[in-house]
Amino acid sequence: MKSGPLILLVNSNPRNIELLEQFLKKAGYEISGTTTLEEASQFLEGAKTPDLALVDITGFDQHIWTFCDALHSREVPFLLISPRYSSALQQESIARGARGMLVKPLATRELLALIKTMINQE
Amino acid sequence: MMKTNYPSRISTGIAGLDEILAGGLIPNRTYLIRGGPGSGKTTLGLHFLSAGAARGERALYISLEEPVEQIKKNAEMRGFNLEGVTFLDLSPTSEFFKETLTYDIFSPAEVEREPITAKIIEQVEKVKPRLVFLDPMTQFRYLSPDVFQFRRQVLSFLRYLVEREATVMFSSEASAEAPDDDLQFISDGVISLENKAGERTIGVDKFRGSSFRAGRHGLKLDDKGIVVYPRLIPIAARKESFGKTISSGIPEIDELLGGGVERGTVTIISGPSGVGKTTLGLQFMKEAAGRGERSVVYSFEEEVEIMIRRAEAINIPARIMIEKGTLTLKKVEPLQYTPDEFAYLVRQDVEEKGTQIVMIDSVAGFRLSVRGEDVQSRLHALCKYLQNMGVAVFLITETSTIVGDFSITDLNISYLADNIIFLRYLEIQGEMQKAIGVLKKRLSNFEKTLRQYDITRYGIKVGRPLTELRGILTGAPEWIEEKDL
Repeated sequence: MKSGPLILLVNSNPRNIELLEQFLKKAGYEISGTTTLEEASQFLEGAKTPDLALVDITGFDQHIWTFCDALHSREVPFLLISPRYSSALQQESIARGARGMLVKPLATRELLALIKTMINQE
Repeated sequence: MMKTNYPSRISTGIAGLDEILAGGLIPNRTYLIRGGPGSGKTTLGLHFLSAGAARGERALYISLEEPVEQIKKNAEMRGFNLEGVTFLDLSPTSEFFKETLTYDIFSPAEVEREPITAKIIEQVEKVKPRLVFLDPMTQFRYLSPDVFQFRRQVLSFLRYLVEREATVMFSSEASAEAPDDDLQFISDGVISLENKAGERTIGVDKFRGSSFRAGRHGLKLDDKGIVVYPRLIPIAARKESFGKTISSGIPEIDELLGGGVERGTVTIISGPSGVGKTTLGLQFMKEAAGRGERSVVYSFEEEVEIMIRRAEAINIPARIMIEKGTLTLKKVEPLQYTPDEFAYLVRQDVEEKGTQIVMIDSVAGFRLSVRGEDVQSRLHALCKYLQNMGVAVFLITETSTIVGDFSITDLNISYLADNIIFLRYLEIQGEMQKAIGVLKKRLSNFEKTLRQYDITRYGIKVGRPLTELRGILTGAPEWIEEKDL
């Protein structure tokens, strides 16, 4: 079986990862979920380069930006997920190379469409 | 295929509510039960389903909030037979709290709706219910991303059930913060429950395709479930037996009244405390009992035993009448009855037991049971109903003044009366005496003079007309002397 595109999930809430995984796997993606920055950084050091990363900033501190820089330097497209809208946050994330910022809760249909277009562009 | 008429109605399991709904629910429709916490929504649903199951119909209870075990236990304690009722438990389990199942990446609508919908569909396909109770529908609101989705979802869900030939009842928890107007528009019928200042009422706000009894009706919710007392509407009852005169059995009183009082009329007996108003009413009943007719006294003030003894002391054989079934004395504790409950009691006596004379002793006590509501309209409805049923009604009203200024009642109810009999204390040459007179008689002529009235151990004694006195109504009459004539 040919494996689908690989998506890296960074999310401090395991239940969120579980739900995203369920949903994205159904849509044919390979998923790798991480709940800490260390785990996520380790994954980036590994053999596989993800096709896309979804980074939920909830529960993380300033170090999240370092991780974003790491994604950017490896040319991994990524989206930031935030619990609320803030234009300062949005500017910062664009500056760090994010393709955009999504505000929770996410609408499943739109998320899927967004992921599809982003991965096809690559 | 659509049917053009409704061959049968489905009972709600509550007789009084069926009456308000002109026979019951129209099958294959959806009904909203709304009300605040503790107003009896779940109980109403249990009545609906258990009555249906007793008729052999398949019934399904979908609980989105209360655990099914708890519902069943409470219901069985209250004597509901839930055999034949299938339960679907969609209430959250304790696991939800124990494990970290909270999430925020997607909205609950996206995550929870599918599994819940799947469970409901599975049960509905399996049970094929004819009756469904969903408690509460408002839970779905949290599973919809917006109002439009909620409305569409509810509509299509209800249609799904109705297409499978189910009659659906669903509850909603309405509050000022979360109104349920949308649900009211969607449903075919709206039944609302209220609990205001300890007084429970039920009302139908909407019932597509049928008439219904408007207004708020009394409701009692106790450990046996719900009893509904439909509010009396005089027009609803009609029976022909008017005009026949009832004699008091005392020739002088009959002379005063031009023969007696007629059936289907209201007679006010007015007078100060202790003058013998109740006794006069009982006298009519004694005479009626002799003809085998049944009378009922609703005593708001006096204990039954005391009334019996008092009656017996003046040659009215109350106990024997009670034993023969021609008299019923009922002590009504005004604060225990709502007006609708009391009206229901009267209706039972009249319609099921054929009561022909009713006495309310006294109007002041009745007023207490009304608790601040409009006494006049309540009494009006009750009296008109009794009149239409051909019952002779006696209302006892006590006047606060012993002598002096003349008044009939302290409440403005004299317009209700077809006949007014008044009893007075008179002071004649330093001696207390009683007098009886008639102030109004709608259906016949009457004597305009007063007569002496006395209660002895042989019964009521009424003398000749007091034509030699003047100023009787002041309470201190004077003899009319020869030279004045």
